[in-house]
Amino acid sequence: MTPLLTDIQLERQRRWFKESFDHLLAIAQSSTCGETGVILSSGYQVFKEVPAERRPYWAEYVLGFRDLSDREMKRFPGHKFGQAFTTVKCECTTYLPWLEKRFRKAGGEIQQGKVSDLQHLADSYDIVVNCSGLGARSLVGDATVHPVRGQILKFHAPWVKNFIRDGDGHTYIYPGVNSVTLGGTRQAGDWRLQVDAGDREGILERCFRLDPSLRGGRVLGEWVGLRPGRESPRVEVEQLKTPGGREVPLVHNYGHGGWGVSLAWGTALDALGLVRQALNQRPPMARL
Amino acid sequence: MRVAVIGAGVIGLSTAQSIYEQYHGQVRPLTIEVYADRFTPLTTSDGAAGFWQPYLYDKGNAEETKWNKETFDYLLSFLHSPDAIKMGIFLQSGYNLCTESAPDPSFKDIVLGFRQLTDRELEMFPGYSHGWFNTALMVEGKSYLPWLMDWLIQRGVKFYDRKINSFQELADSGAQVIINCSGVRSGELQPDPELQPGRGQILKVDAPWIKHWILTHNFTKGTYNSPYIIPGSRLVTVGGVFQLGNWSEMNSSGDHKKIWEEACELEPSLTHARIVEDWTGLRPVRGRVRLERESIQSGPRTIEVIHNYGHGGYGLTIHRGCAQEAARLFGEILKLTRWETKSHL
Repeated sequence: MTPLLTDIQLERQRRWFKESFDHLLAIAQSSTCGETGVILSSGYQVFKEVPAERRPYWAEYVLGFRDLSDREMKRFPGHKFGQAFTTVKCECTTYLPWLEKRFRKAGGEIQQGKVSDLQHLADSYDIVVNCSGLGARSLVGDATVHPVRGQILKFHAPWVKNFIRDGDGHTYIYPGVNSVTLGGTRQAGDWRLQVDAGDREGILERCFRLDPSLRGGRVLGEWVGLRPGRESPRVEVEQLKTPGGREVPLVHNYGHGGWGVSLAWGTALDALGLVRQALNQRPPMARL
Repeated sequence: MRVAVIGAGVIGLSTAQSIYEQYHGQVRPLTIEVYADRFTPLTTSDGAAGFWQPYLYDKGNAEETKWNKETFDYLLSFLHSPDAIKMGIFLQSGYNLCTESAPDPSFKDIVLGFRQLTDRELEMFPGYSHGWFNTALMVEGKSYLPWLMDWLIQRGVKFYDRKINSFQELADSGAQVIINCSGVRSGELQPDPELQPGRGQILKVDAPWIKHWILTHNFTKGTYNSPYIIPGSRLVTVGGVFQLGNWSEMNSSGDHKKIWEEACELEPSLTHARIVEDWTGLRPVRGRVRLERESIQSGPRTIEVIHNYGHGGYGLTIHRGCAQEAARLFGEILKLTRWETKSHL
């Protein structure tokens, strides 16, 4: 599932994961986790066939990572291998408003509008940070960014306390604060935002097989999202030439695929480093 | 054969179930009647969190550990059945925390995925230096008891809302075997100096973001006298106190305050949770479960009694193993009865 990365890329990814995890874990441990939507979550990843990589790179960063015993595997007929660990779940419907509140409190401003011309935008700023996700495909002409369509259901089953996911990434049961997320699909190149009935039936059928107790629950809602697929996140700086003749640093931070939550903080820290560097290197200019 | 069960908590109901399961084919007719003055949702079993876990150490009582294991495996077998949710059975993982180094608990091989806590995990719980993680079962009384009652009613078991004041009373009305599952009030039927109430008070809290149970163990304060947080299918149970000899079933503000403060220290996110209600229950505490036969002479008659009470804070945890054992004792009585019948020929 994780694409083959070069050593440098792997090192960076490990650092991003660790920093993001530690950051979210600290929030999950604090008194505010009810407001932030960040919770501790334990569960299982199971595989139909023993994977080539029995211990993923992030195993040391999550908590209590271990292989499942034969006794535990009995619960998952059709699966030959499994792992258990404790991780964090970050519900963005709560987390993002909380982050936005902090951003505004620190003096940040939010302007609503679509940006189609970065050079024009850069004329009014000292630095631009591009977090346009899937939109980077057109905004900066990055043809490697492509949608990976994901459909999920929000399900009522409050007795489900552990997550279960199939290592192939196509079936997962993630208990959240007020509902359980059932998924999913990974359709590369698919731009459809509408819910697909066939996908829905497939998700329910596979999830029910993984956890039969779900049959006692009910669907609360459905949703489709487009993951910003890319070989790996682009976190780097380039120089923009504005129509006004200025050179403005453009820091990219996009292309996180299905790993947005898992890598957001780590990549943000890297992007911050690039922003600092770029601002320090800027020659002083008289504003006339 | 007429069997009278006294008590409709988890012990009474599950014992009636085991006896029916094992003997309704052999003994015809087999009339089972349950007498109680408290039924679900007002029994001790209903108020309990519904968390399967025995006390940390069985102190050599291998029989009770065997019954605990039997119960765990039995409940686990229902996990994939369509009835699991109706029965209130589901899995949940969590933390047992100790203030000092301690030997592994007696239930380590019964639960799923038992392991030591890593240093990083212990950092999440300041003040606790040692502990374990495992996945265990929940069996919520408020679902399990109605399911059991349904199961029994469908099979012709009759229920009577009546307080029984003596074994004699039941024997007089025709009961041939009496199963005494009267829990904490067993002493009213037959004095038992070993049986005492272990008063517990809990808070039910709305905190759906908590997905693990957390139990703390303080060997100076004793079992259940330090904080525990056990999420259920709807609300989170927060405790605890364990007051030996206290018969009060009223909620205490002092206990409420202590429980709440200690739990918020353990899990700071609780501070923002909404407290829904308090509940007080009396654990039927005894050095060991009283699970044995007794033949009581009453004039010319012998009243056969099977005692099954004194399960302390682990009634739900041990119920099936005890029910099966009680059924086995019932089988002994049957053999005797048949023998006595034969001797009359």
